[in-house]
Amino acid sequence: MRTAGIIAAHHLKRLARSPGLILLLMAIPLTLAGIEYAAFAPSAASGKLPPIKVLVLDEDRTFASSAVPRLVGSGPLADYIELDTAADVPSARRSLQRGQASALIVVPKGFQQALLDRKTAEIRFVPNPAQTISPEIVHSMLQMLTAIVNGLLAQAQAPLDAINAVAAAGRAPTEDEVAEISRGFFRAGERLQILNQMQELTVDVKRPAGASQGFEWGAGTFFAYIFPGLVMFGLMFISQALATRLLRDREAGLQRRVAIAPASRAAVLAGGALYLFVALTVLLIVLALIGNLVFRLELKQPATLLAIAVGFAFFATGLQLMVIAMARSEAGAQAVAGAVIMILSLLGGAFVPLESYPAALRAIGETLPNGAAQKAFVDVLVRGTALGELLRQVGIIWVWALALVAIAVTMERRRLAA
Amino acid sequence: MEVANLRKRFGDLEALRGISFHVGAGEIYGLLGPNGAGKSTAINILCGLVPPDAGSARLNGLDVVRQPLEARRTLGVVPQDVAVYQELSARDNLAFFGRLYGLRGAALRARVDEILQRVSLADRDREPVGQYSGGMLRRLNIAAGVLHRPRAVLFDEPTVGLDPQTRLNILELVRAIARDGAAVVYTTHYLDEAERLCDRIGIIDHGAILAEGTLAELRRAAGEREIAALRGTFRADAVPVALGALPDLQLIKVTESELLVSLASAERQLSALLPLAAQLGEVREVAVRQPSLENLFIKLTGRDLRE
Repeated sequence: MRTAGIIAAHHLKRLARSPGLILLLMAIPLTLAGIEYAAFAPSAASGKLPPIKVLVLDEDRTFASSAVPRLVGSGPLADYIELDTAADVPSARRSLQRGQASALIVVPKGFQQALLDRKTAEIRFVPNPAQTISPEIVHSMLQMLTAIVNGLLAQAQAPLDAINAVAAAGRAPTEDEVAEISRGFFRAGERLQILNQMQELTVDVKRPAGASQGFEWGAGTFFAYIFPGLVMFGLMFISQALATRLLRDREAGLQRRVAIAPASRAAVLAGGALYLFVALTVLLIVLALIGNLVFRLELKQPATLLAIAVGFAFFATGLQLMVIAMARSEAGAQAVAGAVIMILSLLGGAFVPLESYPAALRAIGETLPNGAAQKAFVDVLVRGTALGELLRQVGIIWVWALALVAIAVTMERRRLAA
Repeated sequence: MEVANLRKRFGDLEALRGISFHVGAGEIYGLLGPNGAGKSTAINILCGLVPPDAGSARLNGLDVVRQPLEARRTLGVVPQDVAVYQELSARDNLAFFGRLYGLRGAALRARVDEILQRVSLADRDREPVGQYSGGMLRRLNIAAGVLHRPRAVLFDEPTVGLDPQTRLNILELVRAIARDGAAVVYTTHYLDEAERLCDRIGIIDHGAILAEGTLAELRRAAGEREIAALRGTFRADAVPVALGALPDLQLIKVTESELLVSLASAERQLSALLPLAAQLGEVREVAVRQPSLENLFIKLTGRDLRE
């Protein structure tokens, strides 16, 4: 064990002498996290999504058509939709192509007349084909709004009839007629108001004490959902870089030189493994501390976090030892390790939450070491879950780690003996 | 260092066919053989990296198979390729290898200082060795192999690709290590090095030691005969019978492109050999080698050492 310690300390010393690559690799998860943090954390903290930009092109230019943007961009919808006026179709198309708007609403010519004639009055909705979620949200809002307006129109038949009669006569309405039409719309509004006063179904939004808006958690909690996956993705690449140094030693004859020293094969293998394991554990801790200091990540249950981190570092060690034991060249090892890391990260939910996956894929993801570790990290960081409730996830990580280390040791011993 | 009847097979390839040799304290033993002769397998067995199928190898009385760690503690190895950590200094490199061999603290520092002086690297001991010249790296490579004062040292072609001056420096280092009492096995492709450096030489080919002895003994074995090497195109199957007609001439080797014969006197016998060779094919090149160790090597193995 003493020899293994000497070998591990030696490799760690070398790493400390040339930290450039490791710092660069550490920057990958931090940069990804920083971008996501900047993009989404403020929304998560305030409880508001950034407003969706929508263009309106009014081809009818009537009183009724001008009411459309007022309805869409006012009231509760004003928080979610930011309206802009389009001059014509080509300029609207250009804006959509540049990603400056998520959708276009066109109020076609004849819109007001169709309303007065009690015919179907159409509004055209053009989603930005390059976007998915935002246009759908706007479309849903528009459908809800249409339902409400249809209800209002159903209640306002009498004043509409009066307007049509005056128009058919080809004269200006009298003061009495104007007053009657206004009363008609007012009564229609009152009837809708009665519907609005039905209180049987309510939505209770819980907020932190004193907060008038936002969810029960802040930017740090939001970050707790995304940070673990990115960190493990980055750490697996860092482990690849660290293991590559061992492979280069092998190709340079240094491993042979160490192997002919008075050290058992087990000690030589253990030295390499210990170096990877210690370096990865330290780097995980450093990344967690950066998450805490920079991204306000609350490190709940430190002992549980350490248990998961140690298990994952051990798994990454086993994975990389196995790859370099199998590899005949550095290029081969990098290709295999890179592919394995990407597949694990994609299946394990590093980029898309596992909750969004189909059931079968989610089941696979949760049995992968990084998927299990990610779930365990999120549970601890968001909910403060104790180790006792995460035994399944921790067990999965350690089973993978032990299996890979065992395979790596077997292959390496065979390779050394060959 | 004692090797007795060492055998090793890799699948169908019999890499060692029962080789035996011994090297005493302070002695330099040259192991000469072309690529694939079995030198590396023998060295790997002595290093404890590969177990032999049969036979034994002992270092200072310690069996390399039964007492591998103890045996390796007394062994130093200088590999052909420079095997040092490029990003570390010479001092850090040596400190690491010293620790692997059990050196610690003040004793380690003192020994590192001593060996750095010996290989003339003391004035640049704290630079990353990636900045060293090829000769400096070779000297450090040797220092790393003998830092722990081994009683047996294996040098695996330590001068390949070096300039003459650096080669001379290295050879002097090897002599000094032997003078300190180490048993040295020295493999090389350079016969002149073996002739200058080695007390005894073993010629190995196809996994067997074909001849062994001091330089004088081997020269006597080679006799005073010269070797004629004819290159061209030959009817190989007809050569042995045809040459049998010429007196005092021994066929060493014949292929479709090469003919090697041992002659008592090239000056006298070539006039008869060349017309006969011309009848057996086409002669494009003739080279005559004077009596030497190289001749013996060719005579024994049928091929040049560098093949």
